[in-house]
Amino acid sequence: MSGRAPRVTKTEAIVIRQRRLGDADRIVTLLTPLRGKVDVVAKGVLRSKSRLAGHLEPLTHVEIVLAHGRSLDVVTQAQAVESFPALRGDLDRLSAALYLAELADRFTVEHADATGLFALLHAALVRLDRGDGQQVVTRMYELALLEATGFRPEWTRCLGCGVEVPADEARWSPLEGGVIGVECGARYPGALPIDATALRVLRAYQSLPYEEAGRVRLTDDLAARLEQIMHSLMRAVAERELKSAAFVSAARHARVAEETATAGLDEIRDDECAEAED
Amino acid sequence: MNDFRDPSGGGASPIARLVDAFHRLPGIGPKIAQRLAYHVLRAPEEEARDLAEALMEVKRSVVLCARCQNVTAENPCRICSDKGRERTIICVVEEPLDVVAIERTGGFHGLYHVLHGVISPADGVGPEDLKIAELLARIRDVDRDVTEVIVATNPNLEGEATSMYLGRLLRPLGIRVTRLARGLPAGADLEYADDVTLGRALEFRQEV
Repeated sequence: MSGRAPRVTKTEAIVIRQRRLGDADRIVTLLTPLRGKVDVVAKGVLRSKSRLAGHLEPLTHVEIVLAHGRSLDVVTQAQAVESFPALRGDLDRLSAALYLAELADRFTVEHADATGLFALLHAALVRLDRGDGQQVVTRMYELALLEATGFRPEWTRCLGCGVEVPADEARWSPLEGGVIGVECGARYPGALPIDATALRVLRAYQSLPYEEAGRVRLTDDLAARLEQIMHSLMRAVAERELKSAAFVSAARHARVAEETATAGLDEIRDDECAEAED
Repeated sequence: MNDFRDPSGGGASPIARLVDAFHRLPGIGPKIAQRLAYHVLRAPEEEARDLAEALMEVKRSVVLCARCQNVTAENPCRICSDKGRERTIICVVEEPLDVVAIERTGGFHGLYHVLHGVISPADGVGPEDLKIAELLARIRDVDRDVTEVIVATNPNLEGEATSMYLGRLLRPLGIRVTRLARGLPAGADLEYADDVTLGRALEFRQEV
């Protein structure tokens, strides 16, 4: 046995996605601190008596033992460390967490150190689970992820000339990843208008630590504008549609529609009003 | 993958083609595919014709039920047109096979609705890719007596996301939205249960 590579590895990981393999197995994509993104096989997890299945749900922080296989490693043991139950019980937070996981999937490479990215995703899931604002958690995660992967957006200085751009004169380009001043506008014909207040918030988010960024107060409307800007930026960097970003918006629209309908019913039926508020 | 190339060198032989066709089916590995292909080769011609006709028939005549979206040869399907079923309750499932599983229990006598999938952004599946619009239209226009929708999606992350999303869409219509109970499977071992399952089992405990 001496001289051979070890046959098993023990690591912590966050499950970022799963897909079916054959009748009862799944390929599980893990984000690990030291090996980056890893695809592993979880055997028999679609059977109802599987001892692994519950520990390998997406968005679970697990301790896992992997046996080295010919092409993919195989899960031999898994124990959930944190399963973030509060996050799973709320559609808005769950959709946000799925979005974070999809970003982690798109922005990390396989078999490379990802200690920083693991810590970022873990911190964001903990914050969503304990009930921090979904907007601030998501936006701070996006900005930190872009910074860590070399795509830090430039919100202050013009991409063309490097001069500081006043927020109310700025345009921006998702593809170029930053703002453009009036002087250089002609050189960036695809540049889009950007809301000045949203830009000020993004500048603040980029320079403040998380705890202070959380004190920036957002109206629903401003939050929606920030979301739209960041979703187009992430889509441009990832070079593909992010289905989970669309689901975050769909979940919010459904909530607003439900709240509006409930408010409408309140006026009609007083009895049901008390029940809905409960 | 196969070792049945045409000796004349004229491309894949009919046997190779059949082996490949079996191999593409779920759960069929290369060895089983070969065994099945040789079984067909040795079987009487009639048996082979039956198999071929059954395959073509299923593609020709099976459609989605206009109401519940289940696969069926009659439209509307037998369950939707059965006058004996309770018409105030719809059980929403992910796949046609889930209808079979619930019917097997004999404990549900209402109607079904098949979503043909589950919300899974990581796999590129959003609400617009499922039969959700059909469910809402059906409750609004056809099955107006429905008072309760049981969401019987799988108790995993995607299933939960789908059930919460459906809840948001259906409650404004005045529909009671329920979820299948969750907990330990029959024959399970507490020691190996994950926290979420065990937590739910405690939460939804029952009087003995």
